[in-house]
Amino acid sequence: MNEEVETSLLVIVLDTNPAQRLLRERTHNLTQCLESVIAFANSHLMLKSANRLAMLACHSRSTEFLFPPPPAAFGTQAAMLRQVDGQYELFTHVEKTIRQSLQQLLMRDTKSEPVGSACESLLAGALAMALCYIHRLEQDLSSGRNMNSRILVVTGSADSASQYMSYMNVFFTAQKQNVTLDVCSMEQDMSLLQQGCDITGGLYLRIPQLQGLLQYLLWVFLPEPPIRKKLVLPPPVKVDYRAACFCHRELIDIGFVCSVCLSIFCKFSPICTTCHTVFRSPGPLPIKPKKRKIKLN
Amino acid sequence: MTTSSEDVLLQVGQVRYKKGDGTLYVMNERLAWMMDHRDTVSVSHRYTDIKTQKISPEGKPKIQLQVCLHDGSSSTFHFVNRLGQGAQVKDRDDVKELLQQLLQKFKCEINKELEEKNRLLSENPSLLQLYRDLVMTHVISSEEFWSQHALQYMQKHQSQKQDIGVSGAFLADIKPQTDGCNGLKYNLTADIIECIFKTYPAVRKKHLEYVPHKLTESEFWTKFFQSHYFHRDRINAGNKDLFTECAKLDDQELKKDISAGIEDPLVDITSFEDKTLDEGYGTGGDRSCGIQSGNIVHQNMIKRFNQHSIMVLKACQQNTLCHSGSERLEQSGVPEKQASQSNESSPGCSDHLHTAKKLRIQEKLVYDDLESDSKMQHQGTELSLSRVERYLHGPMPGSCEDVLSEDDMHAVTTRLQREAESWCSVSRPQPTALVNPAAAVSALGELTPGGALMKGFEEESLAQLVPADLERELKNLYMSLCELLRHFWTSFPPTTPTLEAKAVRMHEALHRFHSARLKPFEDRVLREFSPLSQHLTSHLNQMLNSAYRKFATWQQRKMQALR
Ligand SMILES: [Zn+2]
Ligand SMILES: [Zn+2]
Repeated sequence: MNEEVETSLLVIVLDTNPAQRLLRERTHNLTQCLESVIAFANSHLMLKSANRLAMLACHSRSTEFLFPPPPAAFGTQAAMLRQVDGQYELFTHVEKTIRQSLQQLLMRDTKSEPVGSACESLLAGALAMALCYIHRLEQDLSSGRNMNSRILVVTGSADSASQYMSYMNVFFTAQKQNVTLDVCSMEQDMSLLQQGCDITGGLYLRIPQLQGLLQYLLWVFLPEPPIRKKLVLPPPVKVDYRAACFCHRELIDIGFVCSVCLSIFCKFSPICTTCHTVFRSPGPLPIKPKKRKIKLN
Repeated sequence: MTTSSEDVLLQVGQVRYKKGDGTLYVMNERLAWMMDHRDTVSVSHRYTDIKTQKISPEGKPKIQLQVCLHDGSSSTFHFVNRLGQGAQVKDRDDVKELLQQLLQKFKCEINKELEEKNRLLSENPSLLQLYRDLVMTHVISSEEFWSQHALQYMQKHQSQKQDIGVSGAFLADIKPQTDGCNGLKYNLTADIIECIFKTYPAVRKKHLEYVPHKLTESEFWTKFFQSHYFHRDRINAGNKDLFTECAKLDDQELKKDISAGIEDPLVDITSFEDKTLDEGYGTGGDRSCGIQSGNIVHQNMIKRFNQHSIMVLKACQQNTLCHSGSERLEQSGVPEKQASQSNESSPGCSDHLHTAKKLRIQEKLVYDDLESDSKMQHQGTELSLSRVERYLHGPMPGSCEDVLSEDDMHAVTTRLQREAESWCSVSRPQPTALVNPAAAVSALGELTPGGALMKGFEEESLAQLVPADLERELKNLYMSLCELLRHFWTSFPPTTPTLEAKAVRMHEALHRFHSARLKPFEDRVLREFSPLSQHLTSHLNQMLNSAYRKFATWQQRKMQALR
């Protein structure tokens, strides 16, 4: 009976940034998201007793672990848990811990002064933390045990190009670590995160209505990646992999790439502004109009 | 039909062809027959078209000569010299002899070409497919195919061409099979025959002489193997053998080689001794070198081995010589010396030899990659990059939503806190249902195939509907059409008359392809795979139509210009 147990580690990144339109317009949405995500998390734990869970809250200025709690803060409370309504203790524990942690995070929010207009969610940072956590767990894994890990982002914000490099680093690290990145977007189209999903083989889903959040989560994101191949799931989205030019930082369809330093430009320039290589202008172009004139005569 | 410039090599009168009397002409490039009292040639066979000639066996009353063509047809000429059978036979043999020589000459050419084409087709499945689709359906002619469409394959082949060397053991590798009744059966492939020819040039000569008019191919090789095994211990060699002469030639060659010696200054072959390491492993008392094993059979055997090795090595040398020297020049660092070594084996001038020797030794002593190359160190220009940070930027951050004022932010935070207060209180309302049934059902609807979130899934399943053979056929269609289109578009703009002609020709070919290949395919798809209908070929049609359009506008312009 030496059956190999494959653990599935799910790290959920929940975007709790107050600047999300979703939360600004109806604060109760946060409760709904939270409850849905908790139910989803418990479903994941229920699938297999070996499954593991972590959850992070991604805020405008910080990212914090909601579950498992930092040992110092909650060391005493775990012992106080009793069975409630016949609910499995672990589920109660998950539920309570997550609620409490997020509550404390929100309460702390007023105390620290809001800084400027930096109100975008620090998703890239949260993803990096999740990767670190996964890495640590994989290190601790006893031999003979297998673990597939994935990160699920549940967010209502847009991805911002200001974190571009961090995103790219996170995506490629995840790919290298064999971590699947799933994204459940509740509001915006996120072209950067789509790239991340595509690279890591995860799913990207922009849900049409918040009401059914739990349903979408359970249907699309609950099966662990090895099983997904066998299911009929939404097909991968067409990802926009266009590059941005160095000169205006705009996404371009066709560009000019310096053959020496690989800089990208949207217009041809005889001297590369990065490495100062001098290029000859393409030759045959000016000849053609002349020929046409002759023909017309 | 015949061009006047051709020389008539032989003219034989009183030759009957299909019950008509006439004259047979053996010309430079063709065999022709003209009916008496006519001035047009009624039979004309190019030598390249002729596969073989046959003659009527001796003793038959009719003296005939038949030429078989590559396309399977044949023509028979009946020699009816009024001077009697002797003259008829003489006429026939004159023609036969001459024809034999000419055919031999042309055979080499045509065979090479045909074999080449055959080989190209068999080695390149895609080319073969193209050939099937375009030539066999008469979309384009065979000549056009080889001159236009297969060009890259032909060229590619030319650069690849490389002769295979001769294996030293090739004779041993021809494993004879016993046929059960005291005989042996040899399976000879073209490669093996080529090897034999390469190693034994004298045999090649004999082969040209004897096959096919004196012996058949198989008779020749039977004799060869019989004699070859005779040769093994040549003491008993019969004198009447076909290959005795070969052996003599070989001996002469061998003597020449021995006297020429080996030029390589690093090898001193004369110091080699003919001895083995016996029981003492070389430490025991040396036998005097002068004494050779007295057994003449052994000596003969060793001689044969040596000769065989020499011939095998020579076969390789011939190859490299045949090839233009330029290839080798590029490869070897010391080109002059190599060329001199292989070309002038006879020591011409000692001065030249001296330098060759020096070069050879230098080649062994000097290593290119150990030389400190002063150029290399100064060659690279350093890459100086400015504004490196641009590599680290992504696209410009979009006007990131609506920027919240600090007050707004504060307000939201406060409301969220109030919302959160209820989370942990004991009296918090139990969540009734996280998802109401209507939302759940609509979500499920979106996620089942055909739903709003499953777009693209349908396309995939369409791909699954196409069976493999249909897919293959479609692929072939694409390949052929793209090839045609490629040639069509290269003729634009049609600035020269040749290009214009090509444009017209390719346009016609496209139309032929459309009706001969695409239409039947579409019909079949419509019949057998109705759900796919036009989807599969829509892009093909699109490509065709844009070509037609281009052609039409060009024609229209041309008409206007003419007016
Ligand atoms: Zn630009
Ligand atoms: Zn450059």
